[in-house]
Amino acid sequence: MIVVGGGYGGATAAKYIKKADPNVSVILIEQNKHYYSCPLSNPVLVGMRDLEVQKWGYEGLKKHGITVVHETVTGVDTGAKKVTTAGGVFSYDKLVLSPGVSFNYDAIEGYDEAATKTMTHAWKAGPQTAILRDQIDAMKDGGTMVLVAPPNPFRCPPGPYERASLIAHYFKTKKPKSKLIVLDPKDKFSKFGLFQSGWEKLGYKGKYLEWVPAGEGGKVTRVDPKTNTVYTEMDEFKADVVNVIPPQKAGKVAFLAGVANDKGWCPIDFKTFESTMAKDVYVIGDSSAAAGLPKSGYAANSEAKVAAAAIIASLQGKPAPMPTYVNTCYSILAPNYGISVALVSTLKDGKITKLSGGLSPMEATPAFRHQEALYAESWYQAIMNDTFA
Amino acid sequence: MIAGGVAMNADEARADMASGLAMANTCAGCHGTDGMANGPAMPNIAGQPANYLIPVMKEFRSGERYSTIMGRIAKGYSDAEIEALSKAVAGWKWTGGAENPKLAMKTGETIAMVKPALAAEGEKLAKEMKCTKCHEDGGKSTEDDMPRVAGQHLDYLLFKMEDYKDEALKMPQPKKMKKRMDKASAKELEAISHFWAANK
Ligand SMILES: Cc1cc2nc3c(=O)[nH]c(=O)nc-3n(C[C@H](O)[C@H](O)[C@H](O)COP(=O)(O)OP(=O)(O)OC[C@H]3O[C@@H](n4cnc5c(N)ncnc54)[C@H](O)[C@@H]3O)c2cc1C
Ligand code: HEC
Ligand code: HEC
Repeated sequence: MIVVGGGYGGATAAKYIKKADPNVSVILIEQNKHYYSCPLSNPVLVGMRDLEVQKWGYEGLKKHGITVVHETVTGVDTGAKKVTTAGGVFSYDKLVLSPGVSFNYDAIEGYDEAATKTMTHAWKAGPQTAILRDQIDAMKDGGTMVLVAPPNPFRCPPGPYERASLIAHYFKTKKPKSKLIVLDPKDKFSKFGLFQSGWEKLGYKGKYLEWVPAGEGGKVTRVDPKTNTVYTEMDEFKADVVNVIPPQKAGKVAFLAGVANDKGWCPIDFKTFESTMAKDVYVIGDSSAAAGLPKSGYAANSEAKVAAAAIIASLQGKPAPMPTYVNTCYSILAPNYGISVALVSTLKDGKITKLSGGLSPMEATPAFRHQEALYAESWYQAIMNDTFA
Repeated sequence: MIAGGVAMNADEARADMASGLAMANTCAGCHGTDGMANGPAMPNIAGQPANYLIPVMKEFRSGERYSTIMGRIAKGYSDAEIEALSKAVAGWKWTGGAENPKLAMKTGETIAMVKPALAAEGEKLAKEMKCTKCHEDGGKSTEDDMPRVAGQHLDYLLFKMEDYKDEALKMPQPKKMKKRMDKASAKELEAISHFWAANK
């Protein structure tokens, strides 16, 4: 067994395969020595949280008997069943790919990899998070920040709006003459009503936070990193800090392996997460085209368990068990103000079908929002341990 | 669940084929691997008795029991599935819980920490107020339908004490417990929470 990518999906898959059958040999190939979690990295940007809390290592997984190899995968041959890295070639019986997302640098003129050094994406946590945090910290009061939101589908649908909320909170409490402008190529987004009413109630709307939807010219066509300027079809915005969350596609490894379709995502069998483009290759997490599940850490964790169970069953010559998926995304709008969306689903008529879930109530007491904020922190601690310990 | 020769409906099939364990594993994102959560607030559920888990899940589902999120989740499971996954959860072991070093760092939310002096006071109060009649063995009892409270996360216990006291939420609870809750002050319940949380 080889797992490529030691994030929410890959690390969970490796652990749960070992938990189900300690006799299966599992090699996890991950390019970085440490993993920085995106979930709850938004509070880091505004000094609410230490980046250290986001950092995890691979010792926990090694204790389960998983071999962890820190290399970058440079090739996958699904015919010969081999994975190539600078450190050597590995053969597999079953391969799990969970490489996360990669960015589409052709979509916005002027926004390429070099531009991310000053116009950060901070959509993969770690050094990018630190740069953006420091830029926001250094910004003078009275400054303008622009956040460019991505088109669907992308990693963490509520993520850009949680980020916008917390930056507005920071301006309101620390730099009250400053403003955040969110330029969006969409007219609606995840937890729309809850965010809108939160922005109203928390006093962000208009004053510290302005959201410009597609219908009002929110789509960004070009950026100029030299002058920190962002261009839409009708307008230009010169800002002190610019954060561009670019359009996304499957992780690069998925393209190397030839398991991504022309839309840039990996089609899979919803019962097992085995690729429909290559046998014995399972694609989980953000890279998979799992219609019915969002691109979230919790969904990646849930998909990993489904794939792990299917792989174990297949090795034992048994049919894959009926899958069951759970997802929840918490968002923090201010300290003590949390909201959530939940989803329980299963496979019906070949599709991932919702059984229950939904949003936090629109009208809720402060105690309820406080509980959800603390439960968000708990969720993070629990899922990180479920993934890495 | 598997009636010999009788075709199963879709829900029964899921309860059986996914097995309780596979369903219970999906709860781990919030309640931790094998039901031991890492704090500060979501409850440990490992080893809680099935006689407690099954009715509680059903009460979450019907909305009879107040929750922030469990109601939305529990609605996804049939009676048979609740029974199957509850049995798996009941089979897990409450392991005392390792300290979570990440919680000692700056995490953004204010997290309650056990105060030993308050815990000592709570131990006395739990006796005086006869909570120990049911929550026996320092809160470790899991007899019949009794959830273990000893070693539960402090923020969770504090939330639950508030919820039980809040008349508007109409939390289901034994009559004799409600009587005592009504008499107890917020301060006293806080102390008892510290005692139970400390009693790993
Ligand atoms: C700001 C933000 C907030 C978020 N908040 C939440 C939240 O609250 N809740 C939630 O559920 N989700 C949240 N998410 C989404 C979550 O981060 C992703 O959905 C999740 O990380 C997906 O897991 P994955 O395994 O697909 O990818 P990742 O976790 O990104 O893991 C991919 C791994 O593969 C490795 N890798 C890639 N290519 C190679 C290669 N060639 N060789 C070796 N290794 C490689 C990478 O280094 C990485 O470690 C958030 C995301 C962002 C950006
Ligand atoms: C997204 C987070 C989340 C998921 C997923 C989740 N829970 Fe919970 N659970 C909570 C929270 C939060 C509470 C506290 C009640 C509330 O506010 O919802 C709770 C409370 C409980 C309780 C009551 C514990 C006690 O001692 O009072 C039980 C039992 C429980 N959950 C079981 C489960 C089971 C079984 C599953 C999976 C089928 C599950 N939970 C999935 C978050 C979650
Ligand atoms: C008559 C028996 C009885 C007495 C007396 C009693 N309890 Fe309970 N308690 C229960 C039972 C049964 C439950 C679980 C069922 C439920 O929550 O409805 C419970 C649940 C709880 C819980 C929630 C645990 C969880 O995991 O969600 C708390 C907190 C609690 N009790 C505190 C107290 C306190 C404090 C007192 C005394 C002031 C007390 N109880 C007295 C029987 C009792």
